[in-house]
Amino acid sequence: MKWWLTKSIDPSVPLSGNSSFEETIKQSIILSRLQDLLAWGRKNSMWPFNFGLSCCYVEMATSITSRYDISRFGAEVIRGTPREADIMIIAGTVFIKMAPIIKRLYEQMMEPRWVISMGSCSNSGGMYDIYSVVQGVDKFMPVDMYVPGCPPRPDAFMEGLVLLREAVGKEKRPLSWVVGPQGVTKAEKISMKELKREERMKMTEIKSPDEI
Amino acid sequence: MNNNSAITEDLKLKFGEDQFIEQQTHDHFPTLWVSSKKIVDVLSYLKNEIDKPYKMLYDLTAIDERARAKRENQPGSDFTVVYHLLSFDRNDDIRLKVALKNDSPSIPSITKVWKNADWYERETFDMFGINFDGHSHLERILMPLTWEGHPLRKEHPARATEMGPFQLPEDKQEAEQKALQFHPEQWGLTRKSENSEFMFLNLGPQHPGTHGVIRFVLQLDGEEILDIVPDIGYHHRGAEKMAERQSWHTFIPYTDRIDYLGGVINNLAYVLTVEKLADIKIPDRAKVIRILMSEFFRISSHLVWYGTFAQDVGMLSPVFYMFSDREKVFDIVAAVCGDRMHPNWFRIGGVAQDLPKGWEKIVKEFVDYFPSKLKEYENLVLKNRIFKARTVGIGVYNRDEAVEWGVTGPGLRATGYEWDFRKKRPYSGYDQFEFDIPTAQNGDCYDRSLVRVEEMRQSLRIIEQCLNNMPEGPYKSDSPKATPPLKEYTMHDIETLITHFLSASWGPVISPGEAFHGIEATKGNNGYYLISDGSTSSYRTRIRTPSFPHIQMVPYISKGYTVADLLSILGSIDFVLADIDR
Repeated sequence: MKWWLTKSIDPSVPLSGNSSFEETIKQSIILSRLQDLLAWGRKNSMWPFNFGLSCCYVEMATSITSRYDISRFGAEVIRGTPREADIMIIAGTVFIKMAPIIKRLYEQMMEPRWVISMGSCSNSGGMYDIYSVVQGVDKFMPVDMYVPGCPPRPDAFMEGLVLLREAVGKEKRPLSWVVGPQGVTKAEKISMKELKREERMKMTEIKSPDEI
Repeated sequence: MNNNSAITEDLKLKFGEDQFIEQQTHDHFPTLWVSSKKIVDVLSYLKNEIDKPYKMLYDLTAIDERARAKRENQPGSDFTVVYHLLSFDRNDDIRLKVALKNDSPSIPSITKVWKNADWYERETFDMFGINFDGHSHLERILMPLTWEGHPLRKEHPARATEMGPFQLPEDKQEAEQKALQFHPEQWGLTRKSENSEFMFLNLGPQHPGTHGVIRFVLQLDGEEILDIVPDIGYHHRGAEKMAERQSWHTFIPYTDRIDYLGGVINNLAYVLTVEKLADIKIPDRAKVIRILMSEFFRISSHLVWYGTFAQDVGMLSPVFYMFSDREKVFDIVAAVCGDRMHPNWFRIGGVAQDLPKGWEKIVKEFVDYFPSKLKEYENLVLKNRIFKARTVGIGVYNRDEAVEWGVTGPGLRATGYEWDFRKKRPYSGYDQFEFDIPTAQNGDCYDRSLVRVEEMRQSLRIIEQCLNNMPEGPYKSDSPKATPPLKEYTMHDIETLITHFLSASWGPVISPGEAFHGIEATKGNNGYYLISDGSTSSYRTRIRTPSFPHIQMVPYISKGYTVADLLSILGSIDFVLADIDR
């Protein structure tokens, strides 16, 4: 499907073209498959659940504010209840005392739902291999995207979100329980570490910490 | 020093010479061992009867002594309960210790003497399994109620990976959820009065207004709050146990994450204590760099509070302005330290590296930029009528109540009490700076805001002085215990190389001893009580954090207000979850 935005500098009048019937139809009808249209809608309006655990949550909240502005990616509608949210961001350390609650909150979210694990603690326990911390949220619930960092910068979190959006756009879900093949086909998980390796290796001169 | 012996003499005169055993510590606090029979009397004498009393129970914790080797001149003990009192009149502290024997020790509770002993005793019970006789509700506070064992005992596993993989099957999920159920009767709360039935409202552990994972159970009569039972421990990261396995040096990153908005201020409290233990002198430049970065973090932390507090009481736009300015602070922090929130930048004996070239320019830009913004925000937030209506006269407490509950920092200064460690016990060179201690008079939510806003101006003054008077010289001490050691001292011969290798890999060995150092952190007094048994890591690390007592006070100051007021009160306290639960 193809879509575009007009720029503010574009003149609204006069209209281009010859206002023929054929052209009018072209401008007002979208031909697409319902499946694609739904995926496009899901992709462009991912409403996050207002959920935070620790330090990472502060950086996640920062991504909503002016400099980062997560609304550019359609994810600024923070929901206070899991029932209205599409995406849960596990931002922070997953504590054993908190695990049953996190799971309950996740279960309260409606399908389709996605989970971003933000930060080392949530990815793997990180630097907290300690009695009160679960070694990664994926020990008890599924995760769609892992964002590394301790805490990840807001930009890193947003990159995770954008990648998840792409994946959601490619996801295939049955339109009903009687039509077509059943089950969700998720996009293949990719490792950015692998993808960016070549580019990273090109970096031979690293800025000295003695300069700003 | 004279002061110390005076209080010791005083106590001996009152209770008898043979009741006390003195212990020397590196912080030079008078440290006395008392028997568990006498402890309540001694503490209430120190609080209520003595001239210039010790009004604040600053900290209460315990030490598992069973594996400690070097305990010269200390009475035999399996578990030691430590009471740390603060006297404002004397500007001095006293530490009392009680030796307890056997595996399930008991000691009389002091909740009748200090109200804030309640949570401290529950924490000590939770972490060490020490019973406090006479405590009204001795129950786990940090760990889940279903937990087995007491984590800070030496035999309790430290690593999650030692305890088998974590699993959460259906039945366990159900059992845990059931354990979280609130039963008012257990807390002595009634379900109804003559006229009405009360409602019990769960606020948290997941609630946008609580700024993190904490749970309050409210007993409500209509909209009015009758009582609150806070439930903490959802953010317990075991930092104190972690310190027992990290080296002195490698524990620094964990301190960053205690008050996670305070960044390097946490480092400062910790490294100052280690330096006290190891007797390391810090060069002037390192001191000023530390102050510079600490004050930047004070501003950044207060900005987060400013924006989120305004949001708590219904203003949606200020947070966007405040966070933009926080980004400006973080640009400087990132340029100097290389990271934003957790720079892990102070080192034992100094800082990680010298200031980068051109630091003056970016700091100067901020110093010029920020004052007008503060003015703007004052008009935007503090002078706003709705903001005032939501905060003036809400959550009021006076100075005596603050001291009784262990409140420090802006919360104490808002009651008209000019108490700030930076002035009263200048550390790290704060005595060389000109700044005022902002206070306010009414001790309500609004006054706590006034104090914080003014504190940002004072921090800016300090930063400006750092900018104009940055001393030349080394950024790290040349002491052999400074970690990691300076590179110049290696690569000469095999000895220097070996020394460097050892102190970089194992870290320094700190000689046996005990020390406490408290500082004025962003939210109140933060302090580390470190015990070394003469090895490369700490034997016991106690982290005294301000938010823990502050949250304990919430039920007391919230009764009679409405649920909406509670959110103002919580916002005005400015707590961080990791600062409560550690």
